[in-house]
Amino acid sequence: MGAKDVKPTRSELIEIKKKIKLSQSGHKLLKMKRDGLILEFFEILNKAKDVRTELDAAYEDASLKIGIANAVDGTITVKSTAFALQCKPEIELESCNIMGVVVPKIESSSVKKCIDERGYGIIGTSSYTDEAADAYEDLVEKIILAAEIETTIKKLLDDIEKTKRRVNALEFKVIPELQESMTFIRLRLEEMERENTFRLKRIKG
Amino acid sequence: MQLLQKFKRGSSKKAKPKGHANYAYTTARVRAMKSKILPKETYPRLMNMSINEITRFIGESEYKEDVDELARQYDGVNLIEHALNRNLAVTFTKLLSISEGDVNFLIGEELKKFDIWNIKTILRGKYCNATNEEVLDALVAAGRLSYTFLSDLATKTTYEEVISGLENTEYYPVLKDYDGTNLSDIENQLDKMYYAGLFEAVSGSRSKDRKLFAKFMRMGIDVKNLITLFRLKKANIDNPGMMNLMIDGGLKLKLKDIERLISLSFEDFISELENYPYWDVISDVASPDMVSLINVESRLKKYRLKSAASFSHVYPISIVPIMDYMLNKENEVNNLRLIIRGKAASLSDEIIKEQLVI
Repeated sequence: MGAKDVKPTRSELIEIKKKIKLSQSGHKLLKMKRDGLILEFFEILNKAKDVRTELDAAYEDASLKIGIANAVDGTITVKSTAFALQCKPEIELESCNIMGVVVPKIESSSVKKCIDERGYGIIGTSSYTDEAADAYEDLVEKIILAAEIETTIKKLLDDIEKTKRRVNALEFKVIPELQESMTFIRLRLEEMERENTFRLKRIKG
Repeated sequence: MQLLQKFKRGSSKKAKPKGHANYAYTTARVRAMKSKILPKETYPRLMNMSINEITRFIGESEYKEDVDELARQYDGVNLIEHALNRNLAVTFTKLLSISEGDVNFLIGEELKKFDIWNIKTILRGKYCNATNEEVLDALVAAGRLSYTFLSDLATKTTYEEVISGLENTEYYPVLKDYDGTNLSDIENQLDKMYYAGLFEAVSGSRSKDRKLFAKFMRMGIDVKNLITLFRLKKANIDNPGMMNLMIDGGLKLKLKDIERLISLSFEDFISELENYPYWDVISDVASPDMVSLINVESRLKKYRLKSAASFSHVYPISIVPIMDYMLNKENEVNNLRLIIRGKAASLSDEIIKEQLVI
């Protein structure tokens, strides 16, 4: 809306003043939210870096352990042993709120198991299989943690971007335009008042 | 694997020694078969080859027929692994078919581990609703149960049908207790049954060769118990019920020793092991803060196989050279698989060499 398109009335001026006040407080709040989100983002970013490093290490370890198990026991043995597992990991997805951003919270169960809970007999299997299973359980846990943190980071980034756009829009577009309209109305009203005074003086004379 | 069907083997109850034992004939055949075992100089050469070169080497060796037979179904490293297993199954079933009487009985007792393995695989497959193809892929019919019989079992839809299919076998008394949830217990009982059967088969005789074989077999029980103990201790399982996982009949580790060891903490367990002869084998890889058990297990297995090699020539016409051949054949298959799978998984040469038994 251009500044010249507004009606130069007192009620409009009051309305615009209200809008300016609201926009300014909104701008202040959104700026605070943006700064808060950026702080949260950097805090989680460090965690994400650690988790990613741990995930890479866990993946490497799991690949090594399954490689050894496949080589020593044979893939047939590993495959057959894997059949014995029926209790698959369960994942519960909850959500939590970081400054208005809804981020996932992933709870997992039955990932890490003791060797006597994996379903296979202990006598007929080897420590190669145990260690491969251990390494993969670790990897799954790390993947779940990384999924939670990396989704949070993605959501935070989206929201920071959105908030930044809003702050900029308020700061460089909405508030200046409203202020321009307010100045226009004020000047127009002053002009109208002068015209009125002049008209009254002419009638008197 | 279909070729195995030519070896008509039954699924009957526990085999008893029948007829006259043909030791002379069987050992002569075994000696000829042993000459085809790859010499130990081959392994360092294989270690320096690429996967394609190893595949070609295996494809041109004793395993040619198996590779050609399975080439339509599999490729690459999987083809080699299945060909090795097929060759092992054909070789062992050949031993069963050429032997008679007592020698056949002993070979059958040793090969029961494959029957038990196959039964476990089928039950596991039913447990997790695996497809028939997946289960059939994981079978190695190197025991008394034929591939045809096992594949028939694998196509049954429920575990109850599988168990009733095994009604006429010696495994039924254990399997009938399976209720669909206690798979690990049943697996452990089947494995214990294998060791008990083997122990019973070799411990009765007074002959020197049989005593030697019994000693080797009992050392195997020790190694198995020791590995199980390490695994339980490492996992912090000190449940007294774990004694059920221990196999009776060990050479140096009696059940009362194990009972004492099982109640100790991991640190005390390691220091207590110093009093046993196996400590020399594992002393440089076993410590209270050890992370992996892989090296302990491989050292113990190597030790057992090397000790078998030391007495394999003592009694030339007895069960000893036959068992020695069986161990060597299994070891050759394991070594070849280890090299090719290890190279495919980009394992370092050090890791592969550590696990190789040459």
